[in-house]
Amino acid sequence: MDKNSEIKKSLAEILELPKDVMLDLPKIVMIGQLQVYIENHKGILEYTTTRIRVNTKSGVLRIIGSNLSIKNIVVEEIVIVGNIVNVEFIN
Amino acid sequence: MLVVSLWNYFRGYVIIRIEGLGLEKFINICIAEQIYLWDINRINYTTLEAKVSLKGFKAIRKIIRKTGCRIYIANKNGYPFWFSRVKKRKMLLLGAFFSLIFLVFVLSFIYRIDVEGNTLVSDEQIIKTLNKSGLTIGSNRYRLDLREIENNMLLEVNELSWIGIEINGVTAKIKVVEKVFPPEKIDKEMPTNVVAKNNGVIHRIIARNGDAVVKEGDIVQPGDLLITGIIKRDSLETPMLVHAYGEVFAKTYYETTKSINLVEIKKEKTENMISRRTIKLGDMVIAFSRGDIPFNSYVLETKVKRLISWRKINFPVEIITEEYYEAVEYEHKLDINDAKSKLHELAVEELVPTIPEDSEIVNSIVSFSQKGDVLYLDLVIEAIEEISEQIIIN
Repeated sequence: MDKNSEIKKSLAEILELPKDVMLDLPKIVMIGQLQVYIENHKGILEYTTTRIRVNTKSGVLRIIGSNLSIKNIVVEEIVIVGNIVNVEFIN
Repeated sequence: MLVVSLWNYFRGYVIIRIEGLGLEKFINICIAEQIYLWDINRINYTTLEAKVSLKGFKAIRKIIRKTGCRIYIANKNGYPFWFSRVKKRKMLLLGAFFSLIFLVFVLSFIYRIDVEGNTLVSDEQIIKTLNKSGLTIGSNRYRLDLREIENNMLLEVNELSWIGIEINGVTAKIKVVEKVFPPEKIDKEMPTNVVAKNNGVIHRIIARNGDAVVKEGDIVQPGDLLITGIIKRDSLETPMLVHAYGEVFAKTYYETTKSINLVEIKKEKTENMISRRTIKLGDMVIAFSRGDIPFNSYVLETKVKRLISWRKINFPVEIITEEYYEAVEYEHKLDINDAKSKLHELAVEELVPTIPEDSEIVNSIVSFSQKGDVLYLDLVIEAIEEISEQIIIN
């Protein structure tokens, strides 16, 4: 991480600001195995019914499951539904 | 997200199929161009299905060249498409409109007349007079002047003191209140007798005019002569007829017998239970489960669920759940004093309303007797009341 983001991180910690806003990091919310909600994504890399890869600031997020589909997708957020088995970052 | 899907429905949307290799690229471009896609489904390796608004679809056609994908519409959905389809079928629309008009027209007639509140005047007489005033089965409810009909009814039927007509849908509800006429006054010059109107033992008799023919302690029955208006004297050749009147007080007896079983068989619920469900549609009952109840003795609990009533309209649909609990019977002995006071209360409650208001209760005799497990009570209430009634001699 460069110096700029280092400062931002410590500033966020001091002021107790949400880090996803300050550092432009993805915020991921899961509802059981049914739904994944990703805020702050940087585009979709791969999309099949068993695997979805989403680009984010902290690397590629890979979601593995079955019957996956994108419920909706806009600039800031993406909602993936289906039977989710695995959510991981690949750097 | 009912609101969102309703909004989409009203704006109209298309289901598109995109074919090509760079489908992720296509989605990313759509995001960048602010085209809202939802319910994106991968059909197979080269095909994608998604929903997009009408406006978004126009924008997609512009960017489709950049991505090298092919796009076609799989389905059109929503209100604008539905409306344009309906517009082509003008007769259907016309038919729907006319059937609505017809329904409104048909419902503007009165199909039923209900009369309530009448005891002396017959329903037929009221309905007959209503028909004369203009309210008949088949008359148009919007052409009736209800206040006018009410006034007319009061003039026509003398026995009514008030009438209210209310139209509920296709039924006319008529509520009437009948007049209570005062007892007929008998002219002072008319020769009369005084007779008894009740059973009783004469307690006191005051003949203000005429001759008393009974004395204190006499037992009289309804119709018995008490004070006669026919005066016979030795000095008179023919009997003289006078207007007899007076006050006659008599002891009257009101009696009742009540019984109670001292050993009560009570039932206690156990946990064994079967439930039955029935749906009631109007008068029709649909049972879901049949078969006998497997318990010898049981306690039945019934729960009725109705649809919420909306603006005084009760939907005639009920769901009835009957729960049969298996019961264990046991004998319960009542306390004799409790039973006595309960019996007494019951008997008093039964008798008191039958006693006229202006009479005076002088005595009440209570006697209990027991036969086996059954307790009997005899209650006699003694009251003094006015029993005279004037009738004309003819």
